[in-house]
Amino acid sequence: MLAIQTIADGLVLGGLYALSAVGFSLIFGVMGVVNLSHGAIVMIGAYLTWFLWHAGGVDPLLAIPLVMAVLFAAGYAAQRGLIQLAVERSSLLASMLLTFGMALMIRNTLVLVFSPDLRSITPAYAAHPLILGAVVLDPLRVAALAASLVLLGLLAFVLQKTRTGRTIRATAQQELAARLCGVNARHVYGLTFGVAAAFAGASGAILGIVLPFSPPDESLWTLNAFVVVTLGGIGSPSGALLGGLLLGLISTGTSQVIGPSFPNAMMFLILVLMLLLRPSGLLGNAFAGSR
Amino acid sequence: MRMSRRSLVTMAGGTILAAPALRRAAAQAKTITFGGSVPLSGGAAETGLNVNNGYATAVKFINETFGGVEVAGAKYRLELKLFDDASDPSRAVTLIQRQLDEGVDFFLGSFGSPIVLPTAAITERAEKPMVQAGGGSDQIFTQGFKYVFGFFPRATRQFISTADFMHSLKPALSNYSLIFTNDAFSKTAAQGVINSMKEQGIPLLESYTFPETITDASSVLASIRAKTPDALVCMTHDQDNLLLAKQMIATGTNVNYLFQGLGPQLGSFRETLGAKANGIFFQTYWDERAPLQDKFFGTPARFAAYYKANYTRPIAYHVSAGAACIVTYIEAMQKAGSLDPVKVRDALAGIDISTQYSRIKFTEQGDGDPVIMGPWIGQVVKGQAEVVAPAAAKTAEYTYPTPAWDKRV
Repeated sequence: MLAIQTIADGLVLGGLYALSAVGFSLIFGVMGVVNLSHGAIVMIGAYLTWFLWHAGGVDPLLAIPLVMAVLFAAGYAAQRGLIQLAVERSSLLASMLLTFGMALMIRNTLVLVFSPDLRSITPAYAAHPLILGAVVLDPLRVAALAASLVLLGLLAFVLQKTRTGRTIRATAQQELAARLCGVNARHVYGLTFGVAAAFAGASGAILGIVLPFSPPDESLWTLNAFVVVTLGGIGSPSGALLGGLLLGLISTGTSQVIGPSFPNAMMFLILVLMLLLRPSGLLGNAFAGSR
Repeated sequence: MRMSRRSLVTMAGGTILAAPALRRAAAQAKTITFGGSVPLSGGAAETGLNVNNGYATAVKFINETFGGVEVAGAKYRLELKLFDDASDPSRAVTLIQRQLDEGVDFFLGSFGSPIVLPTAAITERAEKPMVQAGGGSDQIFTQGFKYVFGFFPRATRQFISTADFMHSLKPALSNYSLIFTNDAFSKTAAQGVINSMKEQGIPLLESYTFPETITDASSVLASIRAKTPDALVCMTHDQDNLLLAKQMIATGTNVNYLFQGLGPQLGSFRETLGAKANGIFFQTYWDERAPLQDKFFGTPARFAAYYKANYTRPIAYHVSAGAACIVTYIEAMQKAGSLDPVKVRDALAGIDISTQYSRIKFTEQGDGDPVIMGPWIGQVVKGQAEVVAPAAAKTAEYTYPTPAWDKRV
């Protein structure tokens, strides 16, 4: 029975990892930019949600659309105003340094505004365990998994079925060809960064109800996103979902079978193996970031 | 107003001529400078800010109220020269080395054993004292350092009073499980739990080691639900303990006695858990209602009142400990009758004074005496952090066995 519990816990945790990584994956896949401020954007999402819950009593799950809208706008503006300039005037490496700087600035701004103290979002339904036979589940984590699946499904739909999604994918595959077909690549990059920031914000909202957080946690979520993307493949929600679920299962499985101090070691061992054996990830594609 | 070239030259010349006199005036205002680093940002900042505020409160109060301190017949104002180490040991080491190069003689500690340990090694080599209320790892006190003095007993000795209390509970605890993280403080503190509980004859059912930061404890909690220990002892940090408590509540993982070393003392922790925090046991080193006397502040209550009048940040025991570090230094300087770092170090080694934090007496290795400076037993009662043992400091009665999570409303 402990095995079933472990698998259930792993899937729930994996859903969180997947959602937190999909924005990172999209930017990496479409623009080839390693966004080192990804975790910081996740934290902004967590703090915005905390603020809405704490000051206005807004349920954290209901706050997600608002948080996504705010971060979409901020992400679009940051890409068009900063990152695009760095990429055009210098190199992709410059964009990496720029996003690293952005991460430091966001982290310290959050410390100034919200203090370095721990914050946590605890809605009323947090205290009622979900009992399915012998398996006991944390209702917050189950809600988080459900929200992650819905949002990832929505993103997959947008990318696969809408004109905007097709434009993003076309630009990711062949920027020059897309430009020749009349696509405004700069606008597409802005949209991509905006969508990625919105999903990072949504994952922050969900992480906020599951984990206590403080500004320095941003580096953890950038690192986790990197591992998930390497595992699952770059640029697609399905890759992020697969990578996230695998990481969740590896984490809880290792914790149960080998010991709770080993999930990180196992995670990085698998990261190294993936980079050696299949660098494009399990569901790798032809996007620029995969090549 | 326009200034002519002539008047500008006259003013500049006057300033240059007056400079030696200004320097002399500055030299007459004698100061005692305390150097060091504190984590004002990064992972340790929450408690780092408390320690920093403690240092700052004492210096401000003593300068404002007494105009400074008198050492060997001369009056000195106190000055702090603290920098943000961003919770980064390597950054802290660089900052401390720079201060040593600049001639700072007396150091205050950062927060967290991973930072205190390497910085203490540098001040030790330079033969400059460090008084700190932020590092309890055994490694700080078992390497033969002579110049480092810590307010907390070393980690392996911090659980003695709690184990004794747990042994006294009725109905008796039949066993316990232990959770700790893989870092310098938590590992040694966990060893202290094992040693102390063994002495009290309470058997260990299972121990679980997590990495330095916990992001998920579901599999461990599943194991705890399956094995049902009487008590669960969490020798983990604030953030980890909050996560553990939240996951225990959400999965209905109940034990008769839940101990969390760090976290329940903080208002933010109790506010997050609400009524569910009631019943969680912890250790505390200070309470503003304690019957103690301090040469400068008078009582803990007066210290707390002064702090609250000057800071909006809630008071915590690390604030009190930080302030007591300054008081301890001053008393040692006055006892030594000198500001020579070696003489002050010798005075610190033999000090035995009462402060608003606690009676201060160090062991030969420099950590807090485990009996005199050991922790009290606390429990969250009606949302407040109360002292439930020993009897002399008790502020509330304890509840044991604690009710199941769903009964705490």
